[in-house]
Formats: sequence, C-alpha cells, structure tokens
Amino acid sequence: MLDILFFAGSGLYFAGMLVQFFAQVWKKKVLSKYAWYIFIAGYAAHTAYILARGIQAGRVPMANQFEFAVMFAWGIACILLFLHYRLKLEWITTIAMIMTWAVYLYAALLPREIHELMPALRSVWFVSHIGSAAFAYAAFMLAGASGIRYILLYKKNPKDPKLPEIDYFIYRLIAIGLLLLTVTIVIGAIWAEEAWSSFWTWDPKEVWALITWILYAIYLHLRLGRKKTGVTMAWYAVLSVPVVLFTFIGVNTIMPGLHSYGQ
Amino acid sequence: MTYRPGRDGIFKTMKKIYIFLRSMTFGLILLGLTAAVSVLGSIIPQNQSAMTYVRGYPSLYPWIFRLQLDHVFTSWYFILLIILLCINLTLCSIIRFHRIRQEDILKRAAGAEASVKLSHEGITRVRAELERMHMHKNVQDGRIIYHKNLPGRYGTFITHLGILFTVIFFALGMVIPKILDESCYPNEAVTLEDGTRIEVKDFHITDEEGKLDYRSVINVILPSGKETGDRELAVNHPVKAGSYKIYQQTYGTVGQISVRDAKGHEDVFYIESQDFLSADGKTGILIDNLYPGLKETENGTELITSTMGRYEDPVYIFMVMENGSTESMLAFPGDTLDVGGYTYTFLDPVEYPGLRIKYSPAWVSWALLAAVLMLTFGLAVTFLFVPAVVTVTDQGYRVMTPKAEGLILRLRSAAADNGNTEVDENA
Repeated sequence: MLDILFFAGSGLYFAGMLVQFFAQVWKKKVLSKYAWYIFIAGYAAHTAYILARGIQAGRVPMANQFEFAVMFAWGIACILLFLHYRLKLEWITTIAMIMTWAVYLYAALLPREIHELMPALRSVWFVSHIGSAAFAYAAFMLAGASGIRYILLYKKNPKDPKLPEIDYFIYRLIAIGLLLLTVTIVIGAIWAEEAWSSFWTWDPKEVWALITWILYAIYLHLRLGRKKTGVTMAWYAVLSVPVVLFTFIGVNTIMPGLHSYGQ
Repeated sequence: MTYRPGRDGIFKTMKKIYIFLRSMTFGLILLGLTAAVSVLGSIIPQNQSAMTYVRGYPSLYPWIFRLQLDHVFTSWYFILLIILLCINLTLCSIIRFHRIRQEDILKRAAGAEASVKLSHEGITRVRAELERMHMHKNVQDGRIIYHKNLPGRYGTFITHLGILFTVIFFALGMVIPKILDESCYPNEAVTLEDGTRIEVKDFHITDEEGKLDYRSVINVILPSGKETGDRELAVNHPVKAGSYKIYQQTYGTVGQISVRDAKGHEDVFYIESQDFLSADGKTGILIDNLYPGLKETENGTELITSTMGRYEDPVYIFMVMENGSTESMLAFPGDTLDVGGYTYTFLDPVEYPGLRIKYSPAWVSWALLAAVLMLTFGLAVTFLFVPAVVTVTDQGYRVMTPKAEGLILRLRSAAADNGNTEVDENA
C-alpha cells in the first residue's frame, strides 16, 4: 500500500511535468490546466504517502535520507501551491514541477525500509529542526528555479515586464529560506547541546549549513545593500543550488560525522 | 590652527582604514573567506593525530601542518577572521542604529513630491490598493501618508547585533566549559575535583517497551551535600546539578566474576582485560578479554570480536596461573573454576554508561541562546515586517522605502491597470 502511494505520487508528478512541458511547447493553456490538476493529484498521493508512512512508523517520517528527500520534495510542492494559489504566480510552475519530481526521483533511488527511530533522534526538536531544514532547502531550490526562469526570459527579451517580479521573488524565496535555515541551525544548536553537550561541534553537516547560510547572507547583502538585481543575481541563485544539494546529499554521502545517522 | 601635513596624512589614512573596516565590502570579504576556510575544514578531517595526516595525505601533510589545516577552526587565521568580523559588525551596528534613529521617514514623506505621476483614477486605484493592505494613514499638508511596519527598520540592526553576540558568546561557550568523559560501572561512583560525586545506580540499553535506548539512573551529590536524588539520564535528556550537566554519552560492557574463599566469603568484581585475580600475586587467573560470542566458520570455531550491540552469548578468555604454569581457557557465564583455594564463578556481563560531565556557568548558555534568538528575531523582522511608507499626492505617489519591493510591484501593477501611468524608475 505504501509503495503504491509512493509510486503513484512519482508517476503523477512525472505525468504532470510532461503535460506541462507540452503545454509550454504548444502554448496550450488548457493543457497547462490539466498539468496542474495532475500535479495536485501527485501532491495528494505524496501527502497521503507521508501520512501513511508516519502512521506505520509511529513517528514523523524524517529520520533518514529517504524520508528527508520525500519531505524536501513535499516542501517544494507546498511552496509551489502557495505561490500558485495565494500569489497567482504561474511562471514558476514548469520549473518547480521539474524540481519536485527530481527530488522525489532521488528519494525513489534510496532504500525505503522503515526503521525504528534511534535514541539520538528521539527529541522534541526533531520535527522542527528537520522540518525547517526541508522547507529552507525547498525555498532555495525554488529560488534557483526562478533564477533559471529569469535567465531564460532575459535571453529572449531583456525588457520583459515579468523580470522585476521574478527577481523580487528570487529575493523573497532566499530571504524566507535564510530565515528557515537560521531556525534550523538555532534549533540544531540547542538540540546539540542537549545531546552532545556542545552547541556547535564543527561537524561537516554543521559546517556546510554555515557555508550555505553565508552564501545566501552574501546574496542578501548584495541585493539589499548594494541594490544588485537582474541577471547576475539570478545566476547567483542558480549557482547556489549545487551548494544546497551538497549540504543535503553530498555531506551525508561522503563526509562522515555526527549527522551520519541521516544516511 | 596650524597645518601639519604628516599628522593629517596619518589621520586621513586612519580614517580610510576605519571606513574600510566598517564597510559592507569588508564584511562580505570576511564572510567569503570564512566560507572558503570552512570548506577546507570540512574536507580535511579535523583534530586527528599527526600520523593520520601523514598516512592519509603523504604529499600534502607538510602543508596541512604549516597552514594549520588539521585544526582550521582554531587556527590563528580563522580566529583573526572572526575578530575582524566582530569589529566590522560592531561598527556596522553602531552606524546602522544612528542612521535609523536619526531618520524621520514620516517627516520626509510629509514633504515628498510624487515620483510616479498618475491620473485621478490611477490615484484612486493606488489608494484602494494601499487600503487593502491595511496601512496606517496620516493626512498632512495635502498629502496622504500611508505607512506600515515601521519598527521593521530595526530588523537589520537587531540581526547584526544578534550575529555579533552569537559569535562572542559562542566563542565564550567554546572556552569556558570544562568537559570530562568518564565511564562508571553500576553501583559505583565518580568523584570530581571539587568533591562532587556522581553515583550510577543503574544502566540499561532498552526502554520499558524493549526499544533500544540508553538510560542510566544517577544520583549527584554536590560539595554542599545537596543531592539530586535518583534521576534518569538518557540520550537527549541530560541531568543538571549545580553548574554541572551530565550526559548519557556512550556505553560499554564489562565482565563480572564472583570469588569465594574456603570459608564461604564471596565477593563480586568487575573484570577488565589484564586484570589478575590472585591472593598471593602468583596463583590466580589473568583475564584476557570478554567477547560477544562464538561463531562457526570454515576453519572451525572463532570468536566474535565486533563489540557493536549486545553481548548475546558472552565468552571470557583468560589464563590460569598455578604452580608456575599457565593455561589459556575460555568460560561462559555460570562456569565455575577452582584455582589456588578460591572458587571463581563467571557471571553475566553488565552494561555500563559512559558519562560526559560538563561544567559550565549557566549564564554562558543563556547568553548564547538569547543571542541566537535575537538573530532569528532580527531576520524575521527584517524579512516579514518590511517597513513601507508611501506618500500620495494629487499628482501621484512616491514610495519612500525602496526596500519595500513587493509594495512597489503591487502599486505599479495597480496603477498600470488604469493604463495611464508615468512611472519614474528612480522611485
């Protein structure tokens, strides 16, 4: 049952992405509408999967790399839904659908067994620390996606009236992402003091979270202090995505440390 | 006043240095360098033995030692970067605070002219949009001043001050606490330098439901004689006692043996590798080791040497020393052996906790916590309560807060609906 829900989510996200792609190529608004409905169906399956897995595991499913990837993809989908319904942003849909599916696909490549939560992770900080990280990464990914959209539009027409709006949303997504990443780091530090006796241990995961934080702090200083906007900042948002992915995947894969139980 | 070219030159240079130290450029350079150095610190394993680097990096290790890459985060250049960052943040915070305090944005708004000229209908639309955003409204000198989130101006100041305090108290938090790792067998105690005594009453590695968990029951007796009473210590649940915080850090397994003499007196001992149990120093048993179990292999029976997890089928390996001869033997819990007039009975091994004892004045943790909360609060204020001030005249409007980009876009969009706008891009 769990697997059915998981692969239904994956299949629907893929189908939605494909239909959206053709809607863009053929410029058919109706197709785009269908793509969105398929995506919503994928999101429903994805949400149902998280709930079902949580019930079966008897905990919030965020305890390992697979579960975090599922939550990360869900975070991207949630923000996309918010941008779509609340702010009526449509320019981000195609690329955000691709990102949701890509992260979900990455999750599909990982082992899906449910394991008992290890003692180190049984903490009141567990959900808030990992949940805020998933949403922070999701916001950074969507900022990168918006950056790609900006660059593509800019190449077509540097005077496109949509560009300032996209530029603004890249900045907002990064600002929200940085706030969430700060919350992640702060909660992580409080938790680390309770579990390991020290707020900060220079563990590779902590170091890369700090590097990511600095990277986006520099972006915000350039954006707000130096009033840098436009294509350079769009590239900045895009080129920062690999750092986020490295913090999420690379560190857990190649750098053993105190966070290794996340593998 | 006399002109002193030499002194003026020094002042000018010092002023230039001061301006650079407080500048954002300098702050960004420091952040970039901190990130770059951190990358190195994450790639090269930190605080390992010298031999680890010699073996792991045969051609690079001289550079690793020379550049202190084996302990990047405590190297002189990393500390210098952090000190310079603190100076930059301090100067930057002071200037920021003065600038915000002195700036009376509402007064400026009251004297501002429209930068975006609109028709009457356009102005109506813009005003309707501003009303929809629930902005406060003042009418002054024929101008309507809309404003919202004015305290948000302090957001960046609070954030920078929060970062500064975080760095300072984090550094103190690394230097002040004293950490001691101690293993303690059940029903034994650890006595610290100041006389504080930590008694381990019990330890088990499963909880009530049989799930894996590491829990000790401890009692801490402070030098004043005050006791905590029996308290459960578990991963993520340290026990506080005075200025001490005790953590459940690791665990181990130790063997037990009961020794009975001819008169029937019996004692139970914990036994570790190389313990020699003897009454006369010659005859007795020398413990080699305790192993988790035996396994059958192609070559016969072998000892399981992995000590991960529980000792399911424990085996004691030891040597009997008697009458000048030695004999290697193995025993399982329950086995009995008579050597030199004593009866040795091997018992089930027991698990014991590895405790981490941290001594730190509480104010360090509280100050650091306050600093990080200040930083988070500052960021939340900066990004969620962006100050917005708009002056609307009978000519059009002017946004007085250029950082309120969302508002600028909304008003531009509202005005554009009218199809009659004249947008000043410098607004």
